[in-house]
Amino acid sequence: MVHGSQGDDGLSTTDRSPGAGPAGTRPASGTLRASRRGFLASAGAAAVAPYVITSTALGNASTPPASDRIVMGGIGIGNMGSGDQAAFLNRSDVQYVAVCDVRQKWREDAKGRVDGKYGNADCAADVDFRELLGRADIDAVHIATPDHWHAIMTIAACRAGKDVYLQKPETLTLREGPLMVDAARRYGRVVSGGSQRVLDDYTGIVHPCWAGEIGAIRSVDISVGGPSMPCYLPALPTPPDIDWELWLGPAPWEPYNPGRCDGNYGTGGNSWRSYLDYSGGSLTDWGAHHFGGAIFATDLRELQPAKVTYHAASADGKQAAYVTVTYPNGVDLHHNRPQQLRPATPALAHGSAIQIVGDGEPRVPKPVPAYKGQGGIYGDFIECVKTRERPFRDIELAVNTMTAPHMIGIAYRLQRSLAWDAAAQRFTGDEEANRLLDRARREPWIL
Amino acid sequence: MAHDPASLDKPFASLQVFDWGGDATALQEIDAAVIAAHGDATLHADLEKRLSALLGGGCTLAVKEYACRKLAAIGTAASVPALATLLPDRDHSHMARFALQQIAAPEAAAALRKAAGDLQGDLKIGMISSLAGRGDAASVPLLAALLRGESRTAVAAAEALGRIRTDEAVQALAAAADVADAHAAAAIVDARLAGAEAQLRHGRRREALATYRALADAAAHGTTASAKAARLAATRGILACLDTAAS
Repeated sequence: MVHGSQGDDGLSTTDRSPGAGPAGTRPASGTLRASRRGFLASAGAAAVAPYVITSTALGNASTPPASDRIVMGGIGIGNMGSGDQAAFLNRSDVQYVAVCDVRQKWREDAKGRVDGKYGNADCAADVDFRELLGRADIDAVHIATPDHWHAIMTIAACRAGKDVYLQKPETLTLREGPLMVDAARRYGRVVSGGSQRVLDDYTGIVHPCWAGEIGAIRSVDISVGGPSMPCYLPALPTPPDIDWELWLGPAPWEPYNPGRCDGNYGTGGNSWRSYLDYSGGSLTDWGAHHFGGAIFATDLRELQPAKVTYHAASADGKQAAYVTVTYPNGVDLHHNRPQQLRPATPALAHGSAIQIVGDGEPRVPKPVPAYKGQGGIYGDFIECVKTRERPFRDIELAVNTMTAPHMIGIAYRLQRSLAWDAAAQRFTGDEEANRLLDRARREPWIL
Repeated sequence: MAHDPASLDKPFASLQVFDWGGDATALQEIDAAVIAAHGDATLHADLEKRLSALLGGGCTLAVKEYACRKLAAIGTAASVPALATLLPDRDHSHMARFALQQIAAPEAAAALRKAAGDLQGDLKIGMISSLAGRGDAASVPLLAALLRGESRTAVAAAEALGRIRTDEAVQALAAAADVADAHAAAAIVDARLAGAEAQLRHGRRREALATYRALADAAAHGTTASAKAARLAATRGILACLDTAAS
């Protein structure tokens, strides 16, 4: 049940108060209603404009005038989202105006940080992301919700004319990626994926690869956790400070349990990152970094794998199963290949997470793609918002990168090898694998 | 080794009384059987029959959801009747679609289309969502008829037609270009843009260009955010068509 009020400017800035229900039962109030759609029609008049032209609006030596600042809001301001918020909030070329989170504490804390920064109480705090996207004054949003919301929110933001900084992993299913790319291109939006580590953490392998020092890449070994799992946690009463219907959104309805929705970085069973309705597990969560770093270092970002090979565990149990994806140029990426099968001395290594082998024949160096602007991946996004260039981790590159861990996850689930048709975006000759390309979304959500 | 049906008796007996928080051992055994059913028609049929049987009984929501997840993986036309009975049920409709959306058999699409016609509100939108997910060309007339109706349903129907993108879908969207509801109109524009992109990808440049020009003209004087976005997108589309012609 929505209990909201509308401020004088037409914005609904108060919290929803979903009724808590008995554990394991669905609330009688039913699914999310689009009760704020009428609000969207008036959002064009809802821009919060100063009544007095203040010095901050005019700008000064260190702060651009208001007219040159990117107006931003954030959706999903938990662990990672609060970090993203800080990065954007602390930029002099960003004016941060709104936060959105279905959890009351995150929402209030996020609003408090913004209000504290600006010394006022102007930051809007929404429960429903559509309210934030409906604001005509917002230029860009950063999104750090659980993965099952990423595609719907990104596409909605593009349609609403917003640029998007989207946390990794950018997709939960293979079908989502092309739809997100299409929306970004259709509306001319800047959509950046959010792995700050790809360029920052892996320089020890990136630069030698791009410098041609190890020759043509032959294979890559990546060590990272496995796919997510089903969630059978017991039902507990839904607390009043979380909009459980909206937290679940397009995911299947299942009862509240703090372990189901906690945003900690673990994948062992006490966080949403553990569970397949919301995440691809460590394989895509940390995998977005390691696969991202490896795929960037080996210049595979514009490709998708053509073949997925499932290597079954040995009969004696001494060798675990692992999966290899092979790219059209012949490069193999191995996920968790047993140590005894790896080259004894890889040409390059990022600790034990990434090991790369080349043919040793020096090649002509290529310039390494870099961030634009100042301030790492966040600055890269803001600079591209201004210049309309594609960012370092453009959504198409992010989607390509994520196809590898998603395909690996499907191979583990089915325990067999697969062939991928990148043009058709389908597995060849495997109907069961194609059933895993996407999943039905809970009404009223549609993608 | 031939499938021994008795091997599934115990896990399914345990599954019947499962609920969230319970011992999931039986579910893991059934998961393994589902994987093993690939290429084993006898095991496949046995599993499907047992899973379907759970849908009509008095099992918990957790059990029925589990059954629907497994039928999403291995369900065939044989499961459709049991799944279809759950579509009007608010507590089970989504998970029934979870399976039906993935079952290739035409009976599954037919069940979703029937329910889309019969149901209202969010459940109707759910059926539309799954028909879009299937890319079900046969649902175009049904969806087209919804474009001038209730706003949220019209938006969903437009999005679905944009996913389906057959010539019939493209024509239905064009015919509804003058719809009065602003949200439906924006969704129709987006779907028409998607249709034009598909036409351009398939070398149908003239048709794509005609759509883009129509959209640009319609949005030429609009001042809303939607109109501006449509104008920008249509302009980009026109340029893409011209680039294609020049190359």
